[in-house]
Amino acid sequence: MNYFFGIKHDILKSEIQIPLFQNRILKLSNLKLFKCYPENEKWVLKNISNTKINEYFYFLKNENISNKEIYFLADDEIYKKFDETKLDNFNSFTDTKPEFRSNLKIYINDGGFSSYQSEYPYSMIKKRGTILSSVSSLANSDAEKNYIIIKNIFEKPIEEIFKAYLVNFKTKKIEESFEIKTNNTNCIEINKKLIKPEIFLTTKEYLGIPIYVSLKNNFLSFEHTHPPHEYILSRDKFIKVSEIKKEINEIID
Amino acid sequence: MKSLIKNLLKSEISILIRNSLNIKPISIKTNQENYPTTVSDAFLWRTDKGYKTKFKYSDILNFFYKIKNSWVELHFYNKNNQLLKIEKIESLNLSNELEITSEYLNDIKDYGVFYIYHFSENDKDLNNGSIISNRCYLGFSYNNNLHSFIHGNILVKFTSVNSKQKISTDIVKTSLFNNQIYTIQKYFNDFDNNELFFVNPTSKIIEFSLENKKFRLNPHCTMVVETQNSIISIKSNCLFIRPTIFSYKGKYMDVHHS
Repeated sequence: MNYFFGIKHDILKSEIQIPLFQNRILKLSNLKLFKCYPENEKWVLKNISNTKINEYFYFLKNENISNKEIYFLADDEIYKKFDETKLDNFNSFTDTKPEFRSNLKIYINDGGFSSYQSEYPYSMIKKRGTILSSVSSLANSDAEKNYIIIKNIFEKPIEEIFKAYLVNFKTKKIEESFEIKTNNTNCIEINKKLIKPEIFLTTKEYLGIPIYVSLKNNFLSFEHTHPPHEYILSRDKFIKVSEIKKEINEIID
Repeated sequence: MKSLIKNLLKSEISILIRNSLNIKPISIKTNQENYPTTVSDAFLWRTDKGYKTKFKYSDILNFFYKIKNSWVELHFYNKNNQLLKIEKIESLNLSNELEITSEYLNDIKDYGVFYIYHFSENDKDLNNGSIISNRCYLGFSYNNNLHSFIHGNILVKFTSVNSKQKISTDIVKTSLFNNQIYTIQKYFNDFDNNELFFVNPTSKIIEFSLENKKFRLNPHCTMVVETQNSIISIKSNCLFIRPTIFSYKGKYMDVHHS
């Protein structure tokens, strides 16, 4: 099952298109759209099916989006299944190959726009772990501003502060650290001086999706980095990735 | 007996039958070769219509395997799969970039694909079964504006890290019939125009149709299809034919994978 999310920001606006069809079968579904968010350490569930724009899509405008909220498709059985203490794998409609995705678009008023096909898989929600992302892979030193959006969804309804770091892989030093929150869309601004091949974004306690935004003259770029295990297709991927993560963890420890 | 059946089910002919009958179809299969393997995506380049392309790639042999003094080769092809140039790059940083302009490609203002292979003479730190794939990032600058980036998306060609093997392909699988449908999960109603860039990831001819028009794409060739439909459904004999999308509104452009 996939969850979906948006971005609320001072400069960046966002919109989400959530399809009511699977990508290999164009058969329309009657599923409803729900949002949930953590409040007083409980998940709150709300039906937002009034955001349906046609038989194919739900469409969330910027004013419908909050950084704490996550969105998912379900039927009325959700009211029986929903547990306010823990997110679950509620249905299999979005379990498709290729992956079921929403279109997540950012834009600025009277300016440019950029999007990517986005999802947050349930398998990531249950896990803790470490993000590892090469900053210079997507940040752009020619841009006026560079941000990293870090989306975390964790199964428990907690908004816990945890740390993200920009570390120097050559000098083995922390260059900058940030406080970010679980179950939130977090945004950190990157100093241009840190857009270098040896700088990596990492977290210690929680996973998340790092998505890079660059802005110049009202033009935007918006894309996520690959997780490190996608660079190795053979069985040694888990050993190699854990070796690298151990090396990075030693810097932040 | 069990392993014989397992091997038969994974054989090329079995995959073709499964895909043709839509019985647990297989889109992508990377074989474990008896040598360390470097796999490349097909990366789109554009120098047409005021575009230039930036390519960002990392030294993954150094990063993951601590292999120093490796090099990369970039093999550039035009849209008709004719080799344009091979660029060998040594002295790699952990992260590197290359600007692809029409000047870089001998004044060609067009589009095509390129591949990246990581090579090293020192492959003893790799297992024979090791398979690396640099997924990389492509930035497209339209009329000299900010590059808009996308990541690599489709495994296409491979060879050995020690550069002693020929370049092979057909990681992406096909079907005997045009029975594979892929509907892009985006509503294309709000744009002036959309360009869909298709790359044939196989050594076979790919047929596909969209908006009731039929197209034929020769092995490893690239094609652009313009569309203004709100919903885009692609029917083909290829199990992974997902175009790169350029959507335009006013002077602004958005590029992303489908």
